[in-house]
Amino acid sequence: MPERPARSFPGRPVADRLSLSMRASHLLVVLLVVAGLALAALGSALGDTFYLRLATEALIYAGLALSVDILLGYTGLLSLGQALYFGIGAYVSALTLMAVPSFWLALLAASGATLVAALIGGVIANRVRGVYFALITFGLAQVVAKVVYNTRELGASDGMIGVPVVEVPLGPFHVSTGSAPGFLLVALALLVLLYAVSAYLLDTPFGRVLIALKANERRVAFLGYSTWRARMAAYVLAALVAGLSGALYPMLRGFVSPELLYFQVSGNAVITVVVGGVGTLVGPIYGAILLTVLKSVIGSWTEHQLIVIGVLFMASVLFLPQGLIGLLRPRLARWLGRAEPPPAKAAEAEARP
Amino acid sequence: MADLVSYLQFVLAPQVVNGLALGMAVVLVALGLTIIFGLLDVINMSHGEFYAVGAFIALALGWLGLSFWLLLFLVPLLMIPFGVLTERLLIRRVYDGPDRHVTTLLLTFGLSLIIEELLSIVFGPNTQRPATPLRGAVELAGVYMPVYRLFLIGIGVVVILAVAWIVYRTRLGAMVRAAAYDRDMAGSLGVPVSLVYSGTFAFGLMLAGLAGVLLAPIYSVFPTMGRDFILIAFTVVIVGGMGSIWGAVVAGLALTQVQALAALVISPVWTDPIVFGVMVLCLMFRPQGLFGRLGHA
Amino acid sequence: MTGQTPPVLAVERLGIAFGGLRAVDDVSFEAGRNRITTVIGPNGAGKTTLFNLISGALRPNSGHVRIDGREVTGAAPAALLRLGLARSFQITNLFFGLTVAENLRLAAQVLEPTVRAFLPVRRARVARARVGELLERFGLAAKAAELAGNLSHGEQRRLEIAVAMASRPRILLLDEPTQGMSHGDTEDTAALIRALAADVTILLIEHDIGLVMSLSHHVVVMHQGGKLAEGPPEAVRANPAVQAAYFGHA
Repeated sequence: MPERPARSFPGRPVADRLSLSMRASHLLVVLLVVAGLALAALGSALGDTFYLRLATEALIYAGLALSVDILLGYTGLLSLGQALYFGIGAYVSALTLMAVPSFWLALLAASGATLVAALIGGVIANRVRGVYFALITFGLAQVVAKVVYNTRELGASDGMIGVPVVEVPLGPFHVSTGSAPGFLLVALALLVLLYAVSAYLLDTPFGRVLIALKANERRVAFLGYSTWRARMAAYVLAALVAGLSGALYPMLRGFVSPELLYFQVSGNAVITVVVGGVGTLVGPIYGAILLTVLKSVIGSWTEHQLIVIGVLFMASVLFLPQGLIGLLRPRLARWLGRAEPPPAKAAEAEARP
Repeated sequence: MADLVSYLQFVLAPQVVNGLALGMAVVLVALGLTIIFGLLDVINMSHGEFYAVGAFIALALGWLGLSFWLLLFLVPLLMIPFGVLTERLLIRRVYDGPDRHVTTLLLTFGLSLIIEELLSIVFGPNTQRPATPLRGAVELAGVYMPVYRLFLIGIGVVVILAVAWIVYRTRLGAMVRAAAYDRDMAGSLGVPVSLVYSGTFAFGLMLAGLAGVLLAPIYSVFPTMGRDFILIAFTVVIVGGMGSIWGAVVAGLALTQVQALAALVISPVWTDPIVFGVMVLCLMFRPQGLFGRLGHA
Repeated sequence: MTGQTPPVLAVERLGIAFGGLRAVDDVSFEAGRNRITTVIGPNGAGKTTLFNLISGALRPNSGHVRIDGREVTGAAPAALLRLGLARSFQITNLFFGLTVAENLRLAAQVLEPTVRAFLPVRRARVARARVGELLERFGLAAKAAELAGNLSHGEQRRLEIAVAMASRPRILLLDEPTQGMSHGDTEDTAALIRALAADVTILLIEHDIGLVMSLSHHVVVMHQGGKLAEGPPEAVRANPAVQAAYFGHA
């Protein structure tokens, strides 16, 4: 930073707390990329596909969780129907691939459809706040899920199978969606991109307005910003993240089904965010990985994994307001910025029983 | 003309009666939900699971040979400890924290997952169906109607009136309404607010449990039975006005009739989207619902 | 009134009713450029409601609000802020989870050109410079990294004004800026407001009569939603109707 106008608080870091904690998140994402590359290398060396595909699925659901976190963690809006956009992304991607087997076209179509759906859904959902917002998003997703479930053209309750394996052209390289390590890297790249764009936007004045909505919506209007537009922007951004993540789903599994739009998927994403860390962006990503691991590990002993996940989730709500990442990130942030411990966190922790 | 009469007799009337029985069931579940929201401001996502708990308790005690008529009173009483514990151990912990609407919603959502799994561990995932305590059908103006459904409608009316009487006509109800309107003021006027909160939550669960006992013979008993029911119950609570008792009654009966009658005209698979559509429209244009909120006139 | 330049802020026959109650009833006045106009009146006279009507928080049922002669009645708060009208709140209305500097930066970022809205905040030079000025001017430099929620009441009230000033408004509405302040803090705040009036038109709600008399160029007296009187402070104080309705009760 060459020029620093108005350095009026000597000795204090100029970067604000949010930028600092974001830097800590970035570090954790770098770690994730390294782990992902290592896993892909290891997996392809050992000829494994099962664990690579499981990891890919975790990354896809991580994108959905990221989308929930943009709304809940930054703008303060709890969506209980984010699976709606995940599902729309997945269905449109599947339909596109079955018509024209092009990876980029599928992503483009999925984002286009998600954008349109989010504009409509946003106009509906943003008429209300708080729990009413939670319930209206829940209701919207249920309506669409039931419609899809009953629409023969979309395969009704069976969904659609036979989504072809396609090549993913990446400049000079080609990766097949059928290659387990290759597609893991594609999913990782998309997730990192979605994370980077979200983190970047939240660190701009535009993003700060979205964040201000959570803290004090009433005042935001008197700072010169339309709160409706800000909420819409957050809603559409989150929907696009969910839609693009969903677009990868049929490439991984080769099918789509109405279950993708169900409350279980939306609810799972909310659990992921809360366990991983609300308002941290990286927390939901690690949360998705943790939950996937937990499910498959516990799943090998018992089919009742939900009980463990439910307990973990409730414990997070009660005792870890910033989830698992909340335990880790302040230390990282302090180490990175040598900033003072954010007094808010300390006060918050003390205030909690 | 004869066609019309037989249509009324064999198609429309049974559908209306079935719709009414379902409506009463929905109202019972929705009443508990709306009372808990009206007083505690808590969206109880686990309400459907407590309905399932009531049904399973009834099922288990039925195996032990307890009569259905006894269970009708016993199961709601057995729900009280669940209600008090949930309120004291979970809801209360986060009640004064930031964002309590969202936090309590998340907590009860987590609870619903755990209850569902516990039921499935204890009773197995399969569907069970207790015997119908009242068999047979009666003929009324040429329309055959199952006795149990008529009984359900009757008891629904009794319970609704009893709840309305308790909430609007008794000292207890007055305390609850006072606490709903202004917790601090009610406290300073000598209302045992803490007790009222636990009591109200427990009361909501008693209604869910009662619904469980009553509906088990018709809709069967299985661990995820609450899921299907909670959707329509939420819709009813929203359309009726969150926290409004009469709103829940009117919306519950009306929406289930819409569902029942729509099923005659269009494919029944489309009735669910219609009901949710009503919920979304209601949230868009009249989020406060058709009726006012408990304690808020 | 020369008739040449319209007044910076003009309120004309403004009114709103809640149910049957006319909370603000047919109120008209003008605020002169870089002058302090104070609205006084007993509790429930409709002062804050009047502010809400002017600042766009509420839409009036009748009447007009004009800025520099331009009709802005019923405009949204965000639009009014961009026309140069900012306000503070009677009940401190800050971002308590953000630091003092972050509160100010958030409020100052409207000064930034629109394209910079999508550049990282650390690149927002205009806003950052403005934050530095505000921290100095409002004596909050030492508290820049403190959370707004951890400030003393007096400091929060000062930050409240600083946040309102961040966008360089031409018109500033201050709703009881000294509410709950100690005597010393009140004096400091009065000096600050007087200094602000050098380049801002100020509309003030204030209960401290001493302060009203010493600060105001013009006083508007409200009573039961309507305007009872207006004029220079001394004239208003001498007005028998005002004395009966307001000073008599106070």
